[in-house]
Amino acid sequence: MKVTVTRSGGFAGIERRGESDSERDPLLSRLVDRVDLGSVPPPGRIPDQFLYEIDIDGAHAVVGEAQLSGPLRELVHHVLGRAH
Amino acid sequence: MRCTIVPPHMLENVARGDDPALRDLARRTLALSSAQRTERRVLPVESPPPTEDFVPDRTINDAQNRETLPGETVRAEGDPATGDRTVDQAYEWLGVTFDFFEAAYRRNSIDGAGLKMISTVHYGRDYDNAFWNGEQMVYGDGDGVLFTSFTGPLDVTGHELVHGVTQYTANLEYYGQSGALNESVSDVFGSLIKQWHLGQTADQADWLIGQGLLAEGVNGVALRSMKEPGTAYDDPRLGKDPQPGHMDDYVDTYRDNGGVHINSGIPNRAFHLAATGIGGHSWEKAGRVWYDTLTGADLTPTIDFQGFARATLGAATRLYGSDGAETAAVRNAWSGVGVRV
Repeated sequence: MKVTVTRSGGFAGIERRGESDSERDPLLSRLVDRVDLGSVPPPGRIPDQFLYEIDIDGAHAVVGEAQLSGPLRELVHHVLGRAH
Repeated sequence: MRCTIVPPHMLENVARGDDPALRDLARRTLALSSAQRTERRVLPVESPPPTEDFVPDRTINDAQNRETLPGETVRAEGDPATGDRTVDQAYEWLGVTFDFFEAAYRRNSIDGAGLKMISTVHYGRDYDNAFWNGEQMVYGDGDGVLFTSFTGPLDVTGHELVHGVTQYTANLEYYGQSGALNESVSDVFGSLIKQWHLGQTADQADWLIGQGLLAEGVNGVALRSMKEPGTAYDDPRLGKDPQPGHMDDYVDTYRDNGGVHINSGIPNRAFHLAATGIGGHSWEKAGRVWYDTLTGADLTPTIDFQGFARATLGAATRLYGSDGAETAAVRNAWSGVGVRV
């Protein structure tokens, strides 16, 4: 299983990208199991908020930081390595 | 802040003296008070005697490093300084931004009707961002490695507050070209607020957005350059400033709400060209044209660059006539970035 997270937006508009593969990341599938990408609300158009684009083996969703909570938040920060 | 206790001639002597530490201190003080003298001289000319004195209503909340809004109120309007630099800086910059809109355009706060200005600081942990959530401004402290605190630069506060102004006026949809215009308008007035505060003319201004926000050791001068989009930073950890300054280099992307922080470089540079083409204090003429455009009736929420450009030309024509040098400068500015008007 492969998960990619791309953060865009924010005041700075600087993109960050993280990627993880369950073959090398034992925690990943447990985090993914708790996530339902289909139930993610569309991102509101909030000026300068971060947008997170999440790809789990081809399934795709975009989440605004205001909606990023619970298991999805854990997954996103795990894959992004809580980068800056 | 606005009064100097030590007379300037005394400082000038110290500034020429032998003690290097004292000399530096005196020179810094001289430079600062010279900016303030300029401000004092300029302000009464800029603002006509107001019929009503607008009064700001500021609230600063502390999120205490959590990501919960609005947080706990730590300073309300009229309260003394708290001693927390971040809180007091946020309060100060909101005041300057409010004063700018009153002095330059006779606008009473974000909505033109005295709306309360609310900011939350110390949001999150190592949080590298500031945003406007539709009701208030939010600021992170930065991670200290790549970014310093987002309450530091005046133009960041201006930028966020102007997202509120746009919401209450043209309400430019935050996607694609209208979104890039929304971003650009925030950069334009963010920069104008700083220029007004420093008493700078178009050729004296740095035209940078977020100068001082990049931590020491990061290779860059700011986050965006309105004068030369694409040149603000080039760092192994941050990447390179991706902004175009001309329609030939327009970036098509679905990320970042369709590249709102990327393609804003094009209208940003158009404003810089208009302002330097006209000369003098940029908030007076170029800023007035953009302000009238933003608050007038010519913009639809999904307007594109060309529609916005035409609206600025209409505003310039109403203000300075179709043959006015200012109107010509606006026309040249847009053609300079490849937008046909």
